[in-house]
Amino acid sequence: MSSQKKRNFQIEAFKHRVVVDPKYAEKTWKILEHAIHEIYNHNASGLSFEELYRNAYNMVLHKFGEKLYSGLVSTMTSHLKEIALSIEASQGALFLEELDRKWTEHNKALQMIRDILMYMDRTFIPSTHRTPVHELGLNLWRDNIVHTVKIQVRLKDTLLELVQKERGGEVINRGLMRNIVKMLMDLGSSVYQEDFEKPFLAVSADFYRGESQLFIESCDCGNYLKKAEKRLNEEIERVAHYLDARSEVKITNVVEKEMIESQMTRLVQMENSGLVNMLVDDKYEDLGRMYNLFRRVPNGLTSIRDVMTVHLRETGRHLVSDGERLKDPVDFVQRLLHIKDKHDKIINLAFNNDKMFQNALNSSFEYFINLNTRSPEFISLFVDDKLRKGLKGVSEEDVEIVLDKVMMLFRYLQEKDVFEKYYKQHLAKRLLSAKSVSEDAERSLILKLKTECGYQFTSKLEGMFTDMKTSDDTMQGFYAAMGHELGDGPALAVHVLTTGSWPTQSTTTCNLPPEILTVCNKFKTYYLGTHSGRRLTWQTNMGSADIKATFGRAKHELNVSTYQMCVLMLFNNGDGLSYREVEQATEIPTSDLKRCLQSLACAKGKNVLRKEPMSKDIGEDDTFFFNDKFSSKFYKVKIGTVVAQKESEPEKQETRQRVEEDRKPQIEAAIVRIMKARRVLDHNNIVAEVTKQLQTRFLPNPVVIKKRIESLIEREFLERDKDDRKLYRYLA
Amino acid sequence: MIMADGISNLCNDLQVDPQDIVMLVVSWHMKAATMCEFSKQEFVGGLQSLGIDSLEKFRDRIPSIRSELKDDQKFKEIYNFAFGWAKEKGQKSLALDTAIGMWQLLFEEKQWPLVEHWCQFLQARHNKAISRDTWSQLLEFARSVDPTLSNYDAEGAWPYLLDEFVEYLKENGIIQQKGRVLDLLGHI
Repeated sequence: MSSQKKRNFQIEAFKHRVVVDPKYAEKTWKILEHAIHEIYNHNASGLSFEELYRNAYNMVLHKFGEKLYSGLVSTMTSHLKEIALSIEASQGALFLEELDRKWTEHNKALQMIRDILMYMDRTFIPSTHRTPVHELGLNLWRDNIVHTVKIQVRLKDTLLELVQKERGGEVINRGLMRNIVKMLMDLGSSVYQEDFEKPFLAVSADFYRGESQLFIESCDCGNYLKKAEKRLNEEIERVAHYLDARSEVKITNVVEKEMIESQMTRLVQMENSGLVNMLVDDKYEDLGRMYNLFRRVPNGLTSIRDVMTVHLRETGRHLVSDGERLKDPVDFVQRLLHIKDKHDKIINLAFNNDKMFQNALNSSFEYFINLNTRSPEFISLFVDDKLRKGLKGVSEEDVEIVLDKVMMLFRYLQEKDVFEKYYKQHLAKRLLSAKSVSEDAERSLILKLKTECGYQFTSKLEGMFTDMKTSDDTMQGFYAAMGHELGDGPALAVHVLTTGSWPTQSTTTCNLPPEILTVCNKFKTYYLGTHSGRRLTWQTNMGSADIKATFGRAKHELNVSTYQMCVLMLFNNGDGLSYREVEQATEIPTSDLKRCLQSLACAKGKNVLRKEPMSKDIGEDDTFFFNDKFSSKFYKVKIGTVVAQKESEPEKQETRQRVEEDRKPQIEAAIVRIMKARRVLDHNNIVAEVTKQLQTRFLPNPVVIKKRIESLIEREFLERDKDDRKLYRYLA
Repeated sequence: MIMADGISNLCNDLQVDPQDIVMLVVSWHMKAATMCEFSKQEFVGGLQSLGIDSLEKFRDRIPSIRSELKDDQKFKEIYNFAFGWAKEKGQKSLALDTAIGMWQLLFEEKQWPLVEHWCQFLQARHNKAISRDTWSQLLEFARSVDPTLSNYDAEGAWPYLLDEFVEYLKENGIIQQKGRVLDLLGHI
């Protein structure tokens, strides 16, 4: 019998034998309900937390969680409905205050209630997937207060109205606003967005649209931008004070779109106050403001850049085609530099050194500098002026600054080989007349050119300097060796120039006076004695002479060109010489002779000769007399004409022709190089490759390239492909 | 060597005008180096390749030799051959007058409407000898480019002389920009 009992023995869970009073749940609930009422009526101090907590705990434990929960819902709901009435009843400004106060109270109450019901919050609610107490409290608030028909619309309108007031300059209660907004945010981001943010953005868009229309009609560009900036800053500040931080970018987008993007074009192009005026008048502050505002909108900066580019190109084009300006090359270049400096400063101070604008400036310069085919010549003349006198007494650093500016302009030139030609000519004149302000400055510039363009560009220029040095040594040797023979004949200073390095000159006839001829021949003998196999040719069109002359009682020393010397020396042996006699005796070419006589007889203050008739131009029937009435307050008088000048039309044509001739072999060399590497290539690609290879020196003309190709076909360097006539082959 | 007189006699015997273009074709068969001259090797070799061993046969073959010009490929070869044949020995280029004469002859056979304008253009604007490349490219031009120049491609790598010719035609209103030909064959 006991074994059977043993088999049936089970261990059962300990049961708490509590008498479940059917009214127990109701009684307990009533206690809690009463507590909730008291809490809402601000009578919480009389309550015992411990007792209430225990009651709630017991209800849940005894499986009355459902009753507790639903009781909570209905109790809270009824309270909230009352609260809603009181809020709805408040008038005017008190509406928000009442809402705010009640919200604060609700939160306090909710906290207490949650604390009391914490056990339910942690057990019953998760297991039944109900909304936790705190969240429930918020949702109930939302549904019974904020989203009631009467309150919802009124709330939105009130908030937006306050914002508008503030925008109109009135002071509003920001603290209150912040609280209300925070309430919306606490109720859920969708509540904030739907009930406030979306309408706020829509209303703002309308408002700013109106603002922009109003201002654009009544303000100039600078003032409009000031206003726009002010509004933008206001909105940012508004968000910081009483809106959700995530609204900042949304509201700024609205302002940017309505006030800036929609009026962008009109602002930039505004007459008398738009971008162009600001640029012209150096309005750094306004430009900076425009830059900062426009960079916020799509295509803002590009629209500024485009208008600026058009303006620059116009300005530049105007400058390079203005006949008046072009009469003075140095002034012309000075103006170019001025434009560059001005806009560099603008980009630096107002446009944040933005690369986009620097590029626009560079491309515009490149465009208009090359519109004028004389730019290379003028830049060289500018340099010439600086190296002759402009840089006298200037510090080393300032010299470098000027030279760097020259290099900057040089880089824009497409026809760098033309610049090289002129630079050589001008350098030659400077060296031969010893008119260079500083050899260091000369060398510095050549070094910069070498760095920019390579050794080939400057090797001949350096050769010119070498020749000058070598000539000094040669002269020393000459006088050391032959000094005794020369006695008191004219003192000679010879510069021996290597033909390839110096600008090509055509040799001209000129009969030197016998005294000069003697000493020249002595030099020639001496030189060829030490340098056999060389040929020397006197460049009479490049030399100069110092002559002592007596006019009446006054003695003067005249500095003249070689041609002028030859003419003047004739008057030692006769006076009243006709043009033809002078021509015959000197054999100087006609145009040079006329120019020479003009500078001797027709120039005011330098007329060492007198001409009959007294006309301005040299006629072939004129007669010339020694002018013993010549006077000058200086002992030394300079009459020579070896200064570098702007070329005359025919000279310019000649130089251009020589440049074109020089380019032909360069183009051919490029073609051969390319074809040798590629073996077979079609016409368009050859043209593209050649252009690419030569672009550091000049822009080759496609027609010229084609002619060179044909020439190379003639000479059997290349042939056309038998099947495809556009293809060329390299013939080894 | 058969020289000018000999050739004259030959032409008589063949009952052919010495200026007849068929002589060019014959010279081509003979691979003659220069016009108005046949070396013995060229003459004999040429006749052998033609399979001609008597004057009779030669005379009879003349029409068929002439008709070879109708064949496009052969015409091209003969045309290009003509350059080397017509130019002076030792020169690289063909004298303008000779070239013009040759072109007029050749394009009688192979009609090219612009040939007269081409010759006028050269005499007015060029006045220099013609290079081999220009000579051969002209045939390509005549063949591929429409006489109204409607399909002329400026990027077509034509010798610059041809580009200048096109300019000339446009300048003188011979070709309108739209490509309608005005004074070409006397009618539009």
